[in-house]
Amino acid sequence: MSATMRVTGTRRRAVAGAMTVLGAVGLTACASDAADDTAPAPDKTEIRFTYATGDESWNGAVKSVVDAYNAQSEIATVELDPLTGGTDYATAVKTMDATGNWPAVIDMRDTRTYIEAGKLAPIPEGVTALIDDAAYGPAADGSVYVVPSSALNGEVGLNIIYDKAYFAEHDLEVPATYDEFIELLEAIKANGDVPLATAAGEIWPSDQLWKPLAAPVFAEWSDKGGFWAAVQEGKASVEDLREPLDKLKHITDNFVLEGWQSTQDAQTTTLLVNHQAVMATSSAGIGRLNDIHKVAPDFEAGLFIVPDDEGHINVLKNSVNGDTLSGLSISAQAKENGAEYDAAVDFLTYFYSVEAADIIEQSGVIAPNIKLADEITRNTAIPGAEDYFALLESPELVWYQNETLSPDFSAFNTFFRQTRIEMQDGQTTIDEAIAKSQAEFDKTVGQG
Amino acid sequence: MSETHTAEKAPVRSGSQRFRRQRAAMFGFIAPALLVYLVMVIAPSLQSIQISLTDWDGVNDAYNYVGLSNYEDILGSERFWNAVKNTLLLGLGSAVIVNVISLAVALLLDRLNHWQGFFRTIVYLPALVSGFIAATIWKYILNFNFGVVNTTLRDAGLPTWTHDWLGDSEIVVSVLLFLLCFTLGGNTTLIYLANLQSVPQELVEAARIDGASGPQVFRFVTWPMLAGAVTVNMTLAMIAGWTIFDQILVLTSGGPGFISETMAFFIYKVGFGEYRAGYGSAAAVVLFVVVLASTVVANRYMRSREIQA
Repeated sequence: MSATMRVTGTRRRAVAGAMTVLGAVGLTACASDAADDTAPAPDKTEIRFTYATGDESWNGAVKSVVDAYNAQSEIATVELDPLTGGTDYATAVKTMDATGNWPAVIDMRDTRTYIEAGKLAPIPEGVTALIDDAAYGPAADGSVYVVPSSALNGEVGLNIIYDKAYFAEHDLEVPATYDEFIELLEAIKANGDVPLATAAGEIWPSDQLWKPLAAPVFAEWSDKGGFWAAVQEGKASVEDLREPLDKLKHITDNFVLEGWQSTQDAQTTTLLVNHQAVMATSSAGIGRLNDIHKVAPDFEAGLFIVPDDEGHINVLKNSVNGDTLSGLSISAQAKENGAEYDAAVDFLTYFYSVEAADIIEQSGVIAPNIKLADEITRNTAIPGAEDYFALLESPELVWYQNETLSPDFSAFNTFFRQTRIEMQDGQTTIDEAIAKSQAEFDKTVGQG
Repeated sequence: MSETHTAEKAPVRSGSQRFRRQRAAMFGFIAPALLVYLVMVIAPSLQSIQISLTDWDGVNDAYNYVGLSNYEDILGSERFWNAVKNTLLLGLGSAVIVNVISLAVALLLDRLNHWQGFFRTIVYLPALVSGFIAATIWKYILNFNFGVVNTTLRDAGLPTWTHDWLGDSEIVVSVLLFLLCFTLGGNTTLIYLANLQSVPQELVEAARIDGASGPQVFRFVTWPMLAGAVTVNMTLAMIAGWTIFDQILVLTSGGPGFISETMAFFIYKVGFGEYRAGYGSAAAVVLFVVVLASTVVANRYMRSREIQA
């Protein structure tokens, strides 16, 4: 045997030996990983709970409830499956659907599309009986597919968070009318400070400033089936939103902190606490106050909703049937697996218990509207929370409805949000924004 | 005589049999990968054409055929043409800029006598970072209020130089172009470097003996010899540019408004985010045609320049 052949043979054996060792190490690691994975007790069914992450209060509330459930459940273990909330949540849900990877319990968006596609399972009466009758509603076939994930206080959570200490120092007051709101903005600006921080780095936070301004128009159509339904029927049009669009443009151009186009929603809290703006838009309700309290315990935050010209606070009532319906659902895939369905039902039953409601409240989130609401221990310790509860009791509060029954409304709404941002940014005029939006509505929803 | 004839024929017949066996063996080796490619890439691509003729929402099993109305909507959509404009700018722009910079860096690397490996590694490292990760890091760096760029400018007493880099509609596409060029040069540089090192040195020496200056040597000897590398690099860079998505998703989400949407992002937005899979598929087919046409045209031109060594 030549020296070359001996070297070659030796090299081959060395390579084979190394591969064997690596393979053994890899298999051992896999086995260890499998052994290290938290496995449910033999009789417990493991299910996933997919939810959209939001502010820290909501994330904490979900984790606390799930941990408490897992500690006391004898039949199921719930594994948290958080997904980034916002614009891409719909994509993530769609991907789960395309890959047949539905969790048992899911925080749903664009619910009507999935109900019509048969992707969700009816929620049994044993669960819905625990919930306030006004907080959920049946779909067209009479079954309930979605139940609320938190308190259905409408869009009361869409409000302005403000620096109470600044207000006290400069003798400023919470505005009682829209004109007073503009005067407030002007007064802060005259002090050399920035009145308002808002976010459009993602498109969904653009609703935080828009919706309160458009609410007076929407409220006019509340008893007539809703504004967008009227547009679909040709009784109203996007042109009717000219005045709120004008207000939006005026506020953005004159009173909003520079850089809003790329500011993320969570950053507005930092801008407020750092005194880079005196007020900030929010859609997190009491959760935003809790977040502020955690990062800056000495910061005195309050909240209010922009009133209309007459002083009314117009707030959208939660939809329990429309395309914007959101909440917790059980997947049809879980229904096919009996054990997973039973586990999901058991978890939801716990979720709507007083014990779970207390845990949610302690985390800084308003608990869902359950029938035993009187037994819940409310969290009144969060600074500024009294403003939130005062809003719910305000005599000026006007609930309105704006059902969007077409499953295509989500597509239009995304386009409308971007068009508004484009207009606010000065890329288009209000006339162009209205024309574009109307054309898109006619193309997507109008044909539905 | 017949035995001689048989003996002469035998080697030819066994040679072609051996070739057929070898070809069958080669096909056997690539068959699994080819099957996966057909099932995972080709079949869905062809199905996109079928879906583009429907109003499928991507979720429901049921849908209706709508003929070419998706294509009519797309071709009449201002938003779509804005996305095409951005794709052309970012695709062609990044291809040209990246190639110019990469060639310059390759020329420098080719002159190095020491530490070649080290500098090659430094040049190639950005290519190892995924576009998504790089974009996420840039998003923090360019944040208007808290990013290191604006903070440094403010601390340096240059507050007027600060910009909303990712939110100013006037400059956002240019900023995206800059960020793309930052990360796309690694592979391109190495391809140029490899080709530079294969340029026959006798040609270079002959040119120098004839009195050619450095730039003249590059222009009349080196540059024509690099035509093949230019074809490959420009083609790869253009294709990467046409399909820019990660950076747009992370940095701007196509905003503010629609200003920074690219075709790939537009397809994702309408196809996935807005439950309009039929419409998104039609846009994908249009993108495919655009990429194919532009790549074929560009390749034809670039190949006409190539010199066969």
